[in-house]
Formats: sequence, C-alpha cells, structure tokens
Amino acid sequence: MRKRFKAFLLGLSAAVVLATSLPAAAEGPEFKVDPFWPKQLPNNWIIGQIGGMNVDAQDHIWVFQRPRSLKDVDLAATKHSKCCQAAPSVIEFDSGGNVVSSWGGPGYNPDWPDTEHGIFVDAKNNVWLTGSGNKDGTLLKFTRDGKFLAKFGKQGPIAGSQDTNSLGGTASIALDTQANELFFSDGYFNHRIVVLDADTLGFKRMWGAYGKTPTDLKIPNYNPKSEQFANPVHCVRIANDGLVYVCDRTNDRIQVFQKNGTFVKEFPIRPETRGTGSSYDLAFWPDRNQTYLVIADGADGEAVIVRRSDGQEVGAFGHYGKQVGQFHNIHQIVSDSKGNIYTGEVDVGMRVQKFTPNRPPAK
Amino acid sequence: MSMSHRTKLAASVFFLGFVFATSGALAEGPQFKVDPNWPKQLPNNWIMGQVGGMTVDAQDHIWVLQRPRSLTKDEAGAAQNPPVSQCCVPAPPVMEFDAAGNFLKGWGGPGEGYDWPEQEHALRLDGKGNIFLAGNGAKDQMLLKFTTEGKFVKQLGKSAMPFGSKDTNSVGRVADVFFDAPANELYLADGYGNHRVMVIDADTLGFKRMWGAYGKPASDENIPMYNLASQQFANPVHCVKIASDGLVYVCDRSNNRIQVFQKNGSFVKEFVYDKDTKQSGSTWDIQLLPDKNNTYLLVADGTNNFVRVIRRSDGQVMSSFGHGGRQPGQFHWVHVMAVDTKGNLYTGEVDTGKRVQKFTPSMTP
Repeated sequence: MRKRFKAFLLGLSAAVVLATSLPAAAEGPEFKVDPFWPKQLPNNWIIGQIGGMNVDAQDHIWVFQRPRSLKDVDLAATKHSKCCQAAPSVIEFDSGGNVVSSWGGPGYNPDWPDTEHGIFVDAKNNVWLTGSGNKDGTLLKFTRDGKFLAKFGKQGPIAGSQDTNSLGGTASIALDTQANELFFSDGYFNHRIVVLDADTLGFKRMWGAYGKTPTDLKIPNYNPKSEQFANPVHCVRIANDGLVYVCDRTNDRIQVFQKNGTFVKEFPIRPETRGTGSSYDLAFWPDRNQTYLVIADGADGEAVIVRRSDGQEVGAFGHYGKQVGQFHNIHQIVSDSKGNIYTGEVDVGMRVQKFTPNRPPAK
Repeated sequence: MSMSHRTKLAASVFFLGFVFATSGALAEGPQFKVDPNWPKQLPNNWIMGQVGGMTVDAQDHIWVLQRPRSLTKDEAGAAQNPPVSQCCVPAPPVMEFDAAGNFLKGWGGPGEGYDWPEQEHALRLDGKGNIFLAGNGAKDQMLLKFTTEGKFVKQLGKSAMPFGSKDTNSVGRVADVFFDAPANELYLADGYGNHRVMVIDADTLGFKRMWGAYGKPASDENIPMYNLASQQFANPVHCVKIASDGLVYVCDRSNNRIQVFQKNGSFVKEFVYDKDTKQSGSTWDIQLLPDKNNTYLLVADGTNNFVRVIRRSDGQVMSSFGHGGRQPGQFHWVHVMAVDTKGNLYTGEVDTGKRVQKFTPSMTP
C-alpha cells in the first residue's frame, strides 16, 4: 500500500509538472482530438484491433484492422442482435472520415496473415501487407483495389533471423523510393531489419541492434542498451534525409541507422516503462526538416513528441483510457502532409482517432 | 464479390443512410447528439473501470459508480508494484461531475463497519444528503446507505449471507435502486440473484412489499430466459424507475421486455423490444425524459448497442441512436443512463467499454 501511495504521489506530481511546464514551454506542435473522424462506418460494420496504418500520397488513411479480434459480443450473428458485421481488413478513409474503399480479410488470399499488422501503400498504388501471427512469414502485394500481385516468403513455422526466404511476424513496412527498396521491422519472432528489392522481392540485406548480425538469442527485454532487438521489432520509418528509425518496443528505445544498416545513434523513450514497452510506432512531423517524431507509447497511453535531432521529449498528448482523445493501447501512429495525426488502438481499444495540430508544419 | 456488386452495395447502403438521416429528422421525439467534450480529463492520473451505475442530483450533477477492480494491470499500470507504466491509478468508485465535465469529488471502497460490494452496480440519491449503493457480486446481499460525503449510515443485509426471492432481510445482487420521494420508499431491482422488485422504507431500510413478473409472488424457479411470456423475471432484474404519474417501469433484461406496474405491485402492461435478442438481452436501463408528462422513455440496449427513444403511452419506438463500437457516440455494452433536468443524457459502459458519455437533445423538455 505504501508503495502504491508513493506511485500515486509520483503520478500526481508528474501530472502537475506536465500541466505546468509542458503546454506553456512546449517547443513542438500541440494536438487536439477531432472527435468526428471517422464517420459512422457503412454496412453495420465494426472494426477490431488496428494492426497497421499508413497515409498515402493523397493524404488518405489506410487502416489494416483485425476482424478476428472482434468477440462474440461485438458481432450480430452470435447474439441475434442488430449489431454488427466485421468490417473488411483493409479500409481506406479520406481525411473527412469517409470510407473510400475496402477489401480483404481472412480467406481473401491463401496466405492472408493470421494477425493483420503491417501495411504500406506506395506511390505506384501498390498495397503491401504483413502479419504478426505465429505463422505469418509472408509479405503480400496487392493493387490499390485489392487485386493480388505478388508475395515474398511463406506461411508456416518461422525460420528465424538468419532466414532470407521468409519473414517472422513483420510489424511494419517502409519504402525507400530512391533505391526502390522495401524495409521491414521483422518482427514479433525475428530480431532484425530486412531489406528487399521492391520489384523482384529479392533479399538484399539485414541487420540487428547497433547494425550487428541479428540473432535469436534469448536476451531480457526492458534494456535500452541491449545488444539485440527485443521482440517485437515494431516499426521502421525512413526520414526524408535518409535516416532509418526503428522501434525496439520492449527495450523502450529508438535506434537510428543509415539505409545500409550502419548504426547512427539511439535514444531511450521513457526507459522505466515495463509491460508492453514504450516505443510502439512513430510518425514524422511533416515540416521541411521533420523536426519532431510523434511516438505512440502504448504502455503509457500517450503520444510522445520528441525532437528528432536528440530524442529529447518536448511534449505529449493523450492519457490511458477509453474516453475521446485517450488511448487504450495506442499501437499505430501516422501523420499526413498537413500535420494531422491518426492513431489506432489494439487489445480492446479497437478504434482510430484523428488529432489536428495547433499550427501547420513549416514547409 | 465483384467490384460492380460491391459498388452497388455501397451505393444502396449510402442511400439507406440518407433515408435514415432524413426520416430521423421527421421522427417524433427528441434526437440526441454526442458531446465529445464531456467529461474532462480526470485528475490524479486516474482511470475509470466499468460503469455500474449513474444518477443525476438536484443540481444536475452526475454521479458515477464505477468498478476500480475491473481495471486490468495494463490500465492501472502505475498502481502495480513495481509500476509498469506512467498510467494509471484507479479512480474512486463514487465520483461526482458537473454538467461541464469537471470532477467534483470522489470516495468509496472497502472500509471498516460496512460491507462494500464486490462489484459496484446501483446508486441513487434521496435529495436529503444520502446515497444508496448496491452491488451485483456473488456476495452482494446488502444495500448500503451513505451520506453524499461518503460517511456510512446504515446497511440492509450483509455480505455473503443466505438469500432468496422470499427473503425480507437480505437482497440478492441488486442492479438498480429508485427513490420514491412522496412515500420515502426505495424500489430495488433485485436483481442478479433474486427475481423480484422489492420495496423498503428509505429511513429504516425495513421491508414493505415485493413482487415478481406480472405482479405475482416472486420465485427462484429455474425458468429459461429469452421468453417474452415468462411468468417470472429472469436474472438480472436490471432496472426500476418511476414516472411522474406513479407508474413503475422494470427492466426484465434477459426476457427482452419492460413490465409496468402500479406502486403497489399491480401489473399494468408490458413492452417487448427486439424479441430475438440473445446474450444479455435488449432492455438494460430506462430513463424518463423530463417533460411534465415524461412523454418519452429512453431504453439502453447493451446487446444491440443503441438507445431507443420510446413513446411512453404505447411503447412505440420513435427512433434510436448509437452503434456498436469504440468511437465517440458508439457503445460497447451501454449499461446505465442518467438524464438531467435539461434533457441531457449520460451513459456508462461495462465489459471493456469502461467509459461515460454525454448526449445533448435536439429539443428542450
């Protein structure tokens, strides 16, 4: 009880400090929830956990959600009730909150992932998908409207971080348009970044923490100095200046690399965090220099704004919970060209939210 | 499915939505719109669990009875030993908010001299500075009376005592309490364990009368639920509310119906809603809209996940709002409601819903 009280006091003083120092002194943008995005879905649909999100060149928001995460209590068929039907796995929204297109779901393709996770929509209108389930070793390539094009890897037992023929529960996907290379944070079972040729899907290179050879050694997590990525390697994002950002989620850190895998630097994100870790995903503030990263901190239930140059926290928004603008296990975070932030929640969060900035990004 | 088929489907759904939107405007009775700014962020790094009960006081303040013990370790991460995250600490079970969403005060939880419920469910104010509380946990065979400041006053029954629908010294996992000011009586929806409405004196907590479905003597026979003609209330008997004309409305949740009585227990009539609903049933809670005649009832349906607007005279559904989901204005297990004097609606959700919402009406009562 005493410890709990101390934690309570700590929380209280932290809240006071946040309230007094941050908003007034914040150097970064501030965000406010837009509670009316998205609009009510058509077709009596309901969405499950949000595995992945991506913003395309038209500022449309792509959501990769998990119909199978919905429980009996969410679905009409099992309770003879009016609500609801599981929505398709892939949903494209416009910034007004309207559904533009939708497709996919369990059985849509023989290699459809067990647990929907990574999604990336490239400028050539290809949609790339990966999963984080026990058997999800496959990368799938579709057209924008859901026509199957190609795949890499296969479903089945995960072969490990040395395997160059399959993935291992890949959490996220990025594209280097100049080199035409796809980057994968791989993942829930493997401990590496993988790079493939985006046309041939041929293996090109891979690396682990600090740019070293990845291994699958059992190393304790919650260690921001760990010599290996913990599971899951949860995000990979490429900045305009070519730096590659990797979320080592349960080691509570971000590692930064060159595209060839050379380690550049790292910074901890709230390294005292336990549970499911603090560095789930990140979005770039879209000013000319991408001055800030907005990091989804799932365990703490906040979006944390850090300076990209030195990883210094300059602000945060949200709070754990189910109310509007709060987060229950915030899992995905993306930004559009205007600096709007979109978030997705897993576990029983099962929602998407939009946040608008207090100022436009300097272009 | 071919693309053209899909497009056609999308178009027809779009059209349907349009029809709904326009006919909604013509519907009799008020329409409701979510106010996403209520409540404000709780202080003290608090987080709220399942919402067992809600009520509104004479100042239009909203009282919430929530379940701190329904929070998971991830949700109450800062209260773990050692803490796993910055957030959060469970909020107190009883919380008072103003209409703008400010937290005013909170208290409650297990303590000396009384049996705090295992699972918080019912709360009601008497307008004289007292608050009545009950729970639906397996051991919750008691009703508690506190002052609104959280000082214990009196208790009927006690934790884990024997109970049944004939018993006048205990209650059986009460879901709802209503205070009838003119008679100074409390009406109990009793409950998750018993199959009755029970009336007690609000001062002495002494037994006065009780009844089952159709006003007959209550019994604890095992009768299948989802039965619109059942001669008994199913578990849980989930709400009891009294209109300005003295009619008593009871939610027989798992039988998908509302039964209406006089205060003496005489059966008057019944209404059935979405009769094919399974799982937790279609009639979870009732609120009377505050015009002089209580012209409309709201009925919360946590299985279908919407709220119906119903004409009280004949039970006709005028409209409904909300949809299953976690976005603002949607519901996951909408469980309880409260309405203030201006006709604002407040809702609370259970299971993994764990939130409160406010809805404003299209017309003043």
